[in-house]
Amino acid sequence: MDTLKIYFRLIILSIKCRTQYRADFITGILNIITLNAVQLGFIGILVNRFTNINKWTIWDMLFLYSLWMLGHSIFAIFFWHLLDMENYIVQGTFDQFFIKPVNIFVQFIGRELQYMGIGDLLIGVVGISIAYVNLKLDWSILKWAFFIVSVVSGSIIEIALMWICASISFWMLRSSTTFAIISQLDSMIQKYPIDIFGTGFRVFITAFIPVAFINYYPSLILLNKTNILDKWSFLAYISPIVSIILLIVATKIWTIGLKLYSSSGN
Amino acid sequence: MKIFWSFSRQAFYNMVMYRFDFWVRRIVLLFVMYGVYCLWNILYTQNAKELEVNLNQIITYGILGVALQASLITAMGPQRYIASQIRMGSIDTDLVKPIDFHLHMLARNFGETAFRFITATIPTLIIGFIFLGFELPCDLFNGFAFAFSIALGYLIQFSLNFILGILAIVSVDIKNISWAYISLVSFFSGDMIPLWLFPTALRSIAEIMPFKCIFYIPISIYIGNFSRIMVIKEVLFQLIWCIVLLLLGRIFWICAYSRIKIQGG
Repeated sequence: MDTLKIYFRLIILSIKCRTQYRADFITGILNIITLNAVQLGFIGILVNRFTNINKWTIWDMLFLYSLWMLGHSIFAIFFWHLLDMENYIVQGTFDQFFIKPVNIFVQFIGRELQYMGIGDLLIGVVGISIAYVNLKLDWSILKWAFFIVSVVSGSIIEIALMWICASISFWMLRSSTTFAIISQLDSMIQKYPIDIFGTGFRVFITAFIPVAFINYYPSLILLNKTNILDKWSFLAYISPIVSIILLIVATKIWTIGLKLYSSSGN
Repeated sequence: MKIFWSFSRQAFYNMVMYRFDFWVRRIVLLFVMYGVYCLWNILYTQNAKELEVNLNQIITYGILGVALQASLITAMGPQRYIASQIRMGSIDTDLVKPIDFHLHMLARNFGETAFRFITATIPTLIIGFIFLGFELPCDLFNGFAFAFSIALGYLIQFSLNFILGILAIVSVDIKNISWAYISLVSFFSGDMIPLWLFPTALRSIAEIMPFKCIFYIPISIYIGNFSRIMVIKEVLFQLIWCIVLLLLGRIFWICAYSRIKIQGG
């Protein structure tokens, strides 16, 4: 509980720092919105031509995209700082976190809020709402609960994967490029339903780097498409379990890395 | 000219240093290529007529787009170098170099692009050729026209980035608009979706902008989707934009240069 209090104190400090640059905030959000408008434009052009992609209509695709976006926004706002980890390690500034008697991860993450993630959140909420109306979905309370759980577990999966990538810098010093692999896989599952890919690749993003659980599998339930999975339909339900397992793995790797850490200053 | 090549060579060797980075980027490239391949395959089986070209052509288009984008990366252009030099206040070291700044940026960028072309674009194309059905140009004319066209495309992309870089000198923070810029360029240059699949209104906008010179024109020539008259017309279009943008970059630079001197006192 105390750590949580400290986290919020740190975050409030960083927000105070940030509010000095208001123009930055607006251009940043516009940047995010343009980026996503272009991405959705790609999908829109294709679906406009071909009416659907592997039986996924434009609204299905928007739903898939926005569900990913919602989970991602939590990562983007609160955990984006993980991407800067290697700079702390390389420059030796990571040592500062050892001095204070507070959990190192909390200190590190509490350094910064990425306000641009608000743009992601905005797009996610608007996208889901538009898709929900156009698909004439009418979820029961149970489905709404599943939706919320899916968003949370989706973001946990992304956070855990990025956390693992960040921890790699304990061993390799440089780790920023490993983020590129996850980001690329992310952008593939965000834009396309994974059933357009071959079996090998689908197994890869389900069992090895389980990004498919972020949006694809949960959305099958939310869009009543579980029949695609045939006898593998249990996959659609296990995103929360996958996310918890990944989180445990990530914390383990982080703790081992921390123990090994010796400052690059010496 | 000798100085130009020495700067190019230096930039080339600079790229060799990051080995881990290098391999990861190659893996990412394979993923991108695979994604594009799957997408066009599915769309082809769904409705072949809407594609307007055959399956091999569209897959060749997609793979070439991915592979070329690996060397002509919009994000890694001269604007990044200029912005960081400005931020660290070391742009003056570039001004005392024994080479014109505009040429220096071109030399640097050319060296980096050549490195990426040899180590990323060519291997990707070879893998695409062996496994995914990437095709060679249908005849010699198209092959040569493609080579000429992609060279122009490169110069156009360089000029656009250079102009953006100059904006960084004139105190615009380009970091915050970079993603929007990159994605707009990639959209209108047709590197993911060829312009002929665009809705009519959007297409007519894209047709007059310079961005289609970077990927759409060279790649369409490569897959033989233009008649010979069209090829000549489109290359002329590129040539005009190329000259305009190079001149524009020059003018921007001259204006910015006088500003730097004032700031120096």
